Amino acid sequence: MTDAVDHDLKVKHTKDEASRQNFVAGMRGYVLNDLSGHMKTVWDRKVEPAFEKANGRAPSDGPEIHKTIKSETIFKFYSAMRCNTQEMVWRSVMPAVEREGRDLSRRAQVLSQAGDKAQGTVETNPNFEVPRYVSELDVHMMPGNYHEERIDYDVTQGAVFDNGLAVFSFGLLGDRMEDITDSVSTFYQAHYPDSKPKKILDLGCTLGHSTLPWKARYPDAEVHGVDVGGPCVRYAHARAQSYGVDAHFHQMDAEHTDFEDESFDIVYSCMFLHEVPLKNIKGVFKEAHRLLKPGGVMLHYELPPNTMTSPYDGFYLDWDSYYNKEPFYKAFRDADAKAEIEDAGFEKDSFFEHVAPSRNLYGHDALMEAAQQDGAKNDSRVGRFGDGVMWYFFGARK
Amino acid sequence: MPDDSANAESTPLRYSVKGKRMRFFDAQGVDELVAICMGMAQEMWVIKERQAALESVAAEKGVVLPDDIEGHAFSPDQRAALDAEKQGFIDRIFFTLREEAESLAAEPEEEPPAPSMP
Repeated sequence: MTDAVDHDLKVKHTKDEASRQNFVAGMRGYVLNDLSGHMKTVWDRKVEPAFEKANGRAPSDGPEIHKTIKSETIFKFYSAMRCNTQEMVWRSVMPAVEREGRDLSRRAQVLSQAGDKAQGTVETNPNFEVPRYVSELDVHMMPGNYHEERIDYDVTQGAVFDNGLAVFSFGLLGDRMEDITDSVSTFYQAHYPDSKPKKILDLGCTLGHSTLPWKARYPDAEVHGVDVGGPCVRYAHARAQSYGVDAHFHQMDAEHTDFEDESFDIVYSCMFLHEVPLKNIKGVFKEAHRLLKPGGVMLHYELPPNTMTSPYDGFYLDWDSYYNKEPFYKAFRDADAKAEIEDAGFEKDSFFEHVAPSRNLYGHDALMEAAQQDGAKNDSRVGRFGDGVMWYFFGARK
Repeated sequence: MPDDSANAESTPLRYSVKGKRMRFFDAQGVDELVAICMGMAQEMWVIKERQAALESVAAEKGVVLPDDIEGHAFSPDQRAALDAEKQGFIDRIFFTLREEAESLAAEPEEEPPAPSMP
C-alpha cells in the first residue's frame, strides 16, 4: 500500500505492518464505498420518507439531514468506523517512521545538499511561529500534525503524512500520489493555452506532491512551495531532489509570505483551504492578490461548495468537519468564494470554476475532453473519495 | 506500538490523537468496542496474509523459514486474488451493517406480528 512512496525517503515496513496497512486501505474502501452506500439506501428508503411524512417537505439542507440521520445505527457505525480507519491509517505507518527517524533525517539532508539530480532549495525558520489553527489540533487525526519536531532536521511528520496518504488514498491518487495536481494542471494548461507562467507558487504544499506537477507542465517555470510545517518542507525538498525535479521550498505562512509584490504568475493550493479558518482564507486570498503579477491567476483545488452539491452530498462531505478534526471545513464549503475573491481585490467576473476528471482513473483523453468545457457541473462523485472521484477547482484572474 | 522503540535510531512518536474523542453510541463502551473489533479484524487479517505467504512459500520450496516469509512477495495475480479475498473477509465480518439496507432495498412485505411479549 505504501508502494506509491517510491523515492529515496522510503521507509521499510515489516511484513505484518504492510498487512495492517493493506487491511486499513481495504477497510477504507469498504467504509467509503459499501457502508456509505448502505447509509444512502437507509436514507432514501426509510429516513427521508419518514421525514417527509412528518414534515410535509423534504429536508432543506445538509445540516437538517445530519440532524435527522445521526440517530440511525448505520450512521453511528459508518462514523465510528470512519474515525477508527482514519486513526488506523496513521498508526499503521508510524512504527517504520519511528524506527528510521534519525536515518530519515540524515538521508533528507544528503538529498537536499547533494543536488546531483536537481538544484532546488529549502529554507526553514527556527523562529517561525506555527499558526494556532494548525498547532492546536491533530488535523484529520494525524498525531503530530504537519509541524511537530523532535530531532534536528526532523522530517518525521512529512514521512508519516506521505506513507499515511498512500494508505489513506488506497491507490486513488496514482503515481507519486500526484494525480490531483497532475489532473488540475493538465486541465488548466489545455483550457488556458495562452497562459505561459514563469513563476508558480504552491501554498500549503506539505510533501510537494501538489508542487512538482507544475514543473512537469511548465518545465521552464520556477516553482516554489510554502508550508508552515518544517518537517514537511524539508521532506518535500528531499523528495523533489530524489525525483530530480528543481523546486524551492520555504517554511512560511501562506497569509504572510516573504515574497515580493507581483512576483508570481500562478498562485495555487491543493487540499489546503478547507483546513484553514475562513478569516485566514480571506488573508490567503489577499496575499495571493498581492503576489500575483497583473494577469496572473489564483487557483485552488478543493472540495466543491455546498451551493453546488445536493443536500445529501453536502451532509456527506461536511461529515469530516464534525468528526475528523477538520473543524474549518464546513465554513469554507458554505462560503461564497466569488464574494471572498472580490473582497481580496480580484474582479468578481474573473472567477472561474471547473471539474477535472482524474487522469489516473479516467485517462488522458477524458481529461482533455473535459478541458474543452466551461464551468463546473454538479456530480455526486466530485470531491468524494471513493470509486470514480473527480476533482473540483476554482480561481480568479488578477 | 513499535517493536524496537529502544533503538538509538528511533524517534518516539505520539500515537494518540490529541483533544476530544468522537463518540457516536449512547451506551457506554460501545465506541470502544467498535475500535476493539476493528483492531481484532485487522490483526486477524495480518494472520491470514502471513498464512497465505507461508502456504505460498511452502508450496514453492517445500521448506519454510522465517526469512522466507518476511522477504516473500506475492505475484501480481496472487496479490489481486488476495485483495479480492480481503474485501470478502471484511464484508463477512461486518455483514450486519448491510443487513438493514439490503432488507429495505428488497421492499419487504408487512410481517405477521410476533406473539405479544409475556
